[in-house]
Amino acid sequence: MKIIAQQIFRFVLFVLLQVFIFNQIEIGIGITLLLCPLYLMLLPFDTNVFILMILAFLMGISVDVMSDTYGLHASSLLLFAYLRPIIFNVFSPREGYDVLKSPTIFDMGNTWFLYTFGTLLLIYLTWFFMIEIFSFNKIGYLLQKVFLSLIFTYLISLLLQVFLLRKTTKL
Amino acid sequence: MQNLIAFLKRFRVFLFFAALQVICLLTYVQYLSFPKSQFFTSASSIGGEFYSFKYAVNQHFELENSNLKLQKENIYLRKRLTKNLYQIDRNLFKIKDTSFEQQYNYIPASVINSTTGKMNNYFTINIGKMQGIKRGMGVFSSDGVVGIIHNTSKHYSVVKSVLTQDINIDVLIQPIGLYGFLKWDGRDPTRGTISGISNDLRIKKWSKVYTRGGSGIFPKGILVGRVERLAPVEGKPLWDVVIKFSQDFRSIDRVYVIKNLLIEEQKSLELDVPEDEDKPLI
Repeated sequence: MKIIAQQIFRFVLFVLLQVFIFNQIEIGIGITLLLCPLYLMLLPFDTNVFILMILAFLMGISVDVMSDTYGLHASSLLLFAYLRPIIFNVFSPREGYDVLKSPTIFDMGNTWFLYTFGTLLLIYLTWFFMIEIFSFNKIGYLLQKVFLSLIFTYLISLLLQVFLLRKTTKL
Repeated sequence: MQNLIAFLKRFRVFLFFAALQVICLLTYVQYLSFPKSQFFTSASSIGGEFYSFKYAVNQHFELENSNLKLQKENIYLRKRLTKNLYQIDRNLFKIKDTSFEQQYNYIPASVINSTTGKMNNYFTINIGKMQGIKRGMGVFSSDGVVGIIHNTSKHYSVVKSVLTQDINIDVLIQPIGLYGFLKWDGRDPTRGTISGISNDLRIKKWSKVYTRGGSGIFPKGILVGRVERLAPVEGKPLWDVVIKFSQDFRSIDRVYVIKNLLIEEQKSLELDVPEDEDKPLI
């Protein structure tokens, strides 16, 4: 029960953060901060993939409603949720995942987090910007956007984990 | 039958994913061209309320600036009051009142949400159907053209801004009187292009670009920007004219929606003209 309440709180927090803070920061030269995937990433290891996808869909739609993107976030978050178990399998440790741990940088370590979240984020951002740009003759610009956003989103997601998870370990 | 069930069971995760994905992509593609679903936009009441609140907070810090701007604009407008009127008697007689008929009405509004970093940028403004806003009306600010109304709800409207890829506003380069279509390439929110200008024409740097007023959405002579440079198109005797917008879209606040009172008349008249297949503008 406590976990559900905590996850609902986090869900709302991430949507609000994305819509009112990260969407408002427009640095230019193609940097877009997309932090919603971090929420899906931090869900427990044994989360059912259907629940994962439904959450992704709901979160995507909530962000879309408030930022006039009409299904763009929903589509790419859905892809993220679908691929999460597959990528987790690829990078699983030899003895499998410990259910008591959670997929964070503190529990699983720096390298594991970089590989899994990095790969997922790369696919997510490529998909997101491909749909947004919607034409093939701007490949250079697409790569620039993906690359720059990847670096900045990854750094911010590390910071967010420090803030969020400090709180939860005390609870 | 059993094979089918086995197949569905095996690929249930993927099928669920595919179904939801199709819904998302359909909404996305559909909205870009055809704003039917009101559910996914900030013109819907939930998103609109949020942004009204955000705007109320931001507005407070902008008061002084926008007052100055409005004052300047008032002085400017006082000087040219008959400019917006449509003249019936072309210098034959000048009888008070009946020689002019009102063609354009302006409705003030505030931008409560805007983006500039996406490939297609839409602005939300705080007036809607209650104020008589309809799809296809023009929007401009005291600095220049902003966009065209894309979708409306009871209290809010979404504006398809100049910063979208297929905006195609017809513009006029003065003083040489050349016209073309305004386009945006999705990168720089301060610059747009007018493509397909023949390269034997001499266009001076910083010559002003105005709306042409051909489609009845904008009146003639609203400033769009100034010509910054001419970019040659490879392999063709053409120039892409790069213009710098006079309105900085990153700090947009007060706008006006244009209501053309004679648009029905113009449209019904133009229906009779035999047409080619590529019709400009929305």
